[in-house]
Amino acid sequence: MQIRSGRTLSATTLDALDNGIIEMLRVNGRATNQEIAERLSVTAATVSSRLRRLEEMGASRVVAVTDFAAHGYNVLIAVGVKVAGREVQDVARDLARLPEVFSANIMNGAQDIEMLVALHDFSEINLFLLDHVAGIAGVDTLSPGIAADIVKFEFNVVPL
Amino acid sequence: MNGPRLDELDRRIIEKLGRDARVSNRQIAAELKVTEGTIRSRIKRLQAEHLIQFTVVTDFRVAGSPNLVMMGIQADPSRVGALAKQLADIPEINCVIVLLGRYSLLAMGLFTSIEQLNALIFGRIRVLEGVRDVETSISVHNVKYEVGVARITAKE
Repeated sequence: MQIRSGRTLSATTLDALDNGIIEMLRVNGRATNQEIAERLSVTAATVSSRLRRLEEMGASRVVAVTDFAAHGYNVLIAVGVKVAGREVQDVARDLARLPEVFSANIMNGAQDIEMLVALHDFSEINLFLLDHVAGIAGVDTLSPGIAADIVKFEFNVVPL
Repeated sequence: MNGPRLDELDRRIIEKLGRDARVSNRQIAAELKVTEGTIRSRIKRLQAEHLIQFTVVTDFRVAGSPNLVMMGIQADPSRVGALAKQLADIPEINCVIVLLGRYSLLAMGLFTSIEQLNALIFGRIRVLEGVRDVETSISVHNVKYEVGVARITAKE
């Protein structure tokens, strides 16, 4: 299965040092270049230039991940969208513009689009679904599910 | 649910780190006109409360351009809690959400081969006690993904 048509960076593009740096930062993204350099027996300048190169290649990036709660988002909903009378791509692009939508994917399968939406409280669900989403041309049916508990959420591989 | 635990300084620190996670404490301190020690202790507290974490994300292409797969699972209600834990223990599954409405559980993973996906669903998910049905759909195009916001779960 290789549905995505984008070019693939081969794993060999990254050498052992790149991977060593990535592994250390995965555990502690705030480790200083000096700390990483000492552990991997290279200079801080080398670490700095490797990190810059990884970022410029679009291969990896150190990120600060904040919890939904840090933004006051207490409600997460997973919404399936079926589209009629309009290109799915165009509908998905309009949905992606809504700030509450933090992920949107065009799917094969029963739904045309799946999105994850973060909201402040339950009272916003109505407004979001029935005003903002339903107002977008081409949105035909909505299948929302409310997250009662997020047990695991670990995405280390993302579109950069 | 979590009440507001962040003050203005927390928010401004988070905003700076959101733009550049590698910016030094000293630089944040200078820009926000507080001491470096204040920044250090604020970040430490935010990390301890699971409100922020720092990690590396790698691009899809480095990982062989996998496709996001969503699995909607219908299950025996009395088994949902236990199933959530069992699913979370599967390394190939990145995300497990207990859902109200559409499915009992929503699981997501990234896969490069349909054989690998099939083996997971038939060999390790459908065999779990209480699983009644698994509805699978594959993302063919990611339109939006916010890297900087997630649920930070406590590591045991």
